[in-house]
Amino acid sequence: MIAMIARIRPDIWTVVLLLTLTVIAVLLVWPLAGIFTASLTDNNSGEPTLANYARVLGHPFFQGALINSLIVGAGGMLGAALLGIPLAVLTTRYVIVGRDLLATLAVLALVSPPFIGAYAWIMMLGQNGFLRAPLADIGISLPPIYGFFGILLVFSLKFYPFVFLLTASSLRTINPSVEEAAEGLGAGAWHRFFRVTLPLVFPAVSAGALLTFVLSIADFGTPSIVGGRVRVLATTAYNLFTSEMTGNPGLASATSVLLIVVSLVVVALQRWSVGRRNVAGAMIRRPMPTRLGPIASVVAHAVCYAIVLASSLPSLVVIYTSFRKTSGPVFQPGFGLDSYARILREVPQVISNSAIYSLIAVTLIVILGTLIGYILARRQTIMAGFLDGVLLVPYVVPGVVMGLAFVVTFNVRPLEITGTATIIVLMLFIRRLPYAVRASASILRQIKGSIEEAAVSLGAAPGHAFFKVTLPLMLPGIVAGALMSFITAINELSSSLILYVGRTMTMPVRIYLSVLDGEFGTAAALSTILLVTTGLAIYAVFWVSGRNENAFV
Amino acid sequence: MARVDLQHIGKSYPGLKALDDIDLVVNSGEFFTLLGPSGCGKTTLLRTIAGFNRHDSGQVLIDGRRIDNMPAHRRNIGMVYQDYAIFPHMTVADNIAFGLVTRHRPRREIAERVTRALDLVQLGGHADRMPHELSGGQQQRVALARAMVINPQILLMDEPLSNLDAKLRVELRDDIRDLQRSLGITTIYVTHDQEEALVISDRICVMQSGRVHQIGSPHEVYSRPATLFVASFIGAMNVIPDVPVGTGGTLQFGTGLQLLPALAGRTSVTLAIRPENVILSGRDAADGPAIALEGDVNKVTFAGREAFYRLTCGGTLQILAHVYRPDQRQLEGVGTRLGLAFPLARLHAFDAADGRRIDLAP
Ligand SMILES: Nc1ncnc2c1ncn2[C@@H]1O[C@H](COP(=O)(O)OP(=O)(O)OP(=O)(O)O)[C@@H](O)[C@H]1O
Ligand SMILES: [Mg+2]
Repeated sequence: MIAMIARIRPDIWTVVLLLTLTVIAVLLVWPLAGIFTASLTDNNSGEPTLANYARVLGHPFFQGALINSLIVGAGGMLGAALLGIPLAVLTTRYVIVGRDLLATLAVLALVSPPFIGAYAWIMMLGQNGFLRAPLADIGISLPPIYGFFGILLVFSLKFYPFVFLLTASSLRTINPSVEEAAEGLGAGAWHRFFRVTLPLVFPAVSAGALLTFVLSIADFGTPSIVGGRVRVLATTAYNLFTSEMTGNPGLASATSVLLIVVSLVVVALQRWSVGRRNVAGAMIRRPMPTRLGPIASVVAHAVCYAIVLASSLPSLVVIYTSFRKTSGPVFQPGFGLDSYARILREVPQVISNSAIYSLIAVTLIVILGTLIGYILARRQTIMAGFLDGVLLVPYVVPGVVMGLAFVVTFNVRPLEITGTATIIVLMLFIRRLPYAVRASASILRQIKGSIEEAAVSLGAAPGHAFFKVTLPLMLPGIVAGALMSFITAINELSSSLILYVGRTMTMPVRIYLSVLDGEFGTAAALSTILLVTTGLAIYAVFWVSGRNENAFV
Repeated sequence: MARVDLQHIGKSYPGLKALDDIDLVVNSGEFFTLLGPSGCGKTTLLRTIAGFNRHDSGQVLIDGRRIDNMPAHRRNIGMVYQDYAIFPHMTVADNIAFGLVTRHRPRREIAERVTRALDLVQLGGHADRMPHELSGGQQQRVALARAMVINPQILLMDEPLSNLDAKLRVELRDDIRDLQRSLGITTIYVTHDQEEALVISDRICVMQSGRVHQIGSPHEVYSRPATLFVASFIGAMNVIPDVPVGTGGTLQFGTGLQLLPALAGRTSVTLAIRPENVILSGRDAADGPAIALEGDVNKVTFAGREAFYRLTCGGTLQILAHVYRPDQRQLEGVGTRLGLAFPLARLHAFDAADGRRIDLAP
């Protein structure tokens, strides 16, 4: 293959391809091979062994973690579907005032730091939560927040926007004539919905739901903060690796491999359902939302706003908390900027670290991601197919696992970078690279190849044609991809938690540690900074992509 | 102005011969059309000349110089695409100026040439428009001006009209032809529309499955198709397969015409005749020798100036006959039996096996 490209003259794209393959080999294949090897190695003797897998698969402790992971995955998926589907149907089919606002708030909930939801709900519904007593007064008694209830509550409210956005966009592409035809053939409203509409949107719904499943089992922060005694695979792997007493890299690695396998199966399912998603036919007419009767309309609005406000609640609580007066870790009546003063005094470095690491990573991501996207979209070679597949890996491998893989791999020469800022930047880079690649490839697929050829036939050298014609047309997509990478990079918790040392601590790590220490004021102030940054980035994405919520899924 | 030599060009994709030993010459100043069904390799050949895909074998020469190894951007070849390929982020003027800017022409000269090119394609006054403010036809005119303004040695056009509606298609077709004539630029034009090819071309190259079937003037390919494929691809044609031939070339089909020495030694032949050459009895008499047979009229379609008769001869053979200026009496002929004549001078014969033309009268 490379030989074939080389024969056509080694051009800029050959160089890019080789660079990409090197990056993938070093930052993806090698670490994952490392963790795989570690899982097959005895901790003490260094001999190859299957004992780690025997433990992980045979011991009730690990079996429990696996089952819990599957429960939170399935539960998160179900909860997200239960919230997302009605919201999608109501907002696309009926006149709902403030539809754009709802979508924006949903996106905000989606990209806000995941663990923020966890501790905000603790503040609301924990033992002393300020909502628990009022709710009990009106007769609603809730189970304790720590445990499955908390985890599933957070996951459902956090991930439903995926289901909502994918389903809504699919619903919007159903030609109303199809439904009218069904009606003309004598199908009643329910019959029509279940026999015509639902099968048409099912691929989108299932794609969104399975995505939720993957994200739920990969999430580390939420079960770790609000899980109580519920152990899942992600938290188990982390604890096995980090705990001083019982640290066990072999077992941690075997657990990680198990986690990868579970994710892989679900991602494969998701891909498969996305692959079959092109059921929507030619669009002749766009469906028009219908107006509901007064009572139905009130109910529909209530449902929509309840869902979206519930998911926005954590952010509001965090922002509110950050402005409360504190003395040390204890809240005082009244408002003030104490928490902000405190983080500026005590941990100003985490803010600059987060900003610097994310910006460097995003710069690298944009440069390489754009070029790889070009290869994927424009070079129909075996290599392009291979890259497309390989770049799914960072989606599949949970952050905890990737972090462990980096630690076990990059602690020996020549790449002894554990404990440096470089390792964190490289981690962010490889984990978020696929976002930029996807953004760049998808916009390129909308730019006809003949445009670039025309430039070449007019005398522009291929590189020149790319920079003069294609790149300017790609710019909005590249910027949207960069912002998405930035949002996810600056909010990254799980892998950073494994890779950080004191000097290289980032905001999410500090927030997490503060929450564990009960320093809610500090956590809230830092979270607010993250939220505002994220919100601005979202605003910018809307601005460049012309208000397209689907840029986020 | 340049002459193009394609010598034994071959190109294979996995499991497919896209170009099979293409060997042809396009003369200087000629309007040369590649015509063939979808997938026959027209675009592949065009892109080989432009330098966008590499052929496996053979060579491309322009004015006797090999250009196979010259990168596309140095070939000085103008290209017009089916989807216009207008740069959407540049104004009309900037689109047209693009090739001149890459050639580092002085600003004054660029402005002048752009203005002249715009006038040439009748878009004067649209210089500052953005492409999305133009209709499809206007966009294609911009593409044409953009390709012409660099004074290319050759102009390549890949189905430039197929995204336009019928009326615009005819209008722009005529304009392209006039422009090409007045500038005398060697043009290779791709289409799968045989009527367009006949109207616009100096010469036509008919292709199928990566092979050249015939190269000739529109009149030649229409009236003396070199293969059965050409005969049936261009214009309407009645094809009568597997007509038995007796010893010495005796045709065992119809009456009137029996011995055809050109068919001597064959056992069967494929005959073909265009609907307008079929003579219906009671209309015109055939002058010269002709095959005579009888057919039942089962459908008559009236189209104003002309009418089409569909007849069944000898139980299964379907023949279409084209009648000019039909009169009322003839249009009521469904169900009647008519005599048909196929004049020898208008009859085509093809080898029953490989479809090659057999000349009946030397
Ligand atoms: N990159 C490619 N890889 C594999 N096969 C190809 C490739 N490009 C073209 N082909 C095949 O080569 C053959 C010729 O293609 P080409 O595009 O030249 O046809 P065409 O005559 O221009 O057809 P159309 O009228 O549809 O444009 C087709 O069968 C096509 O499928
Ligand atoms: Mg083509």
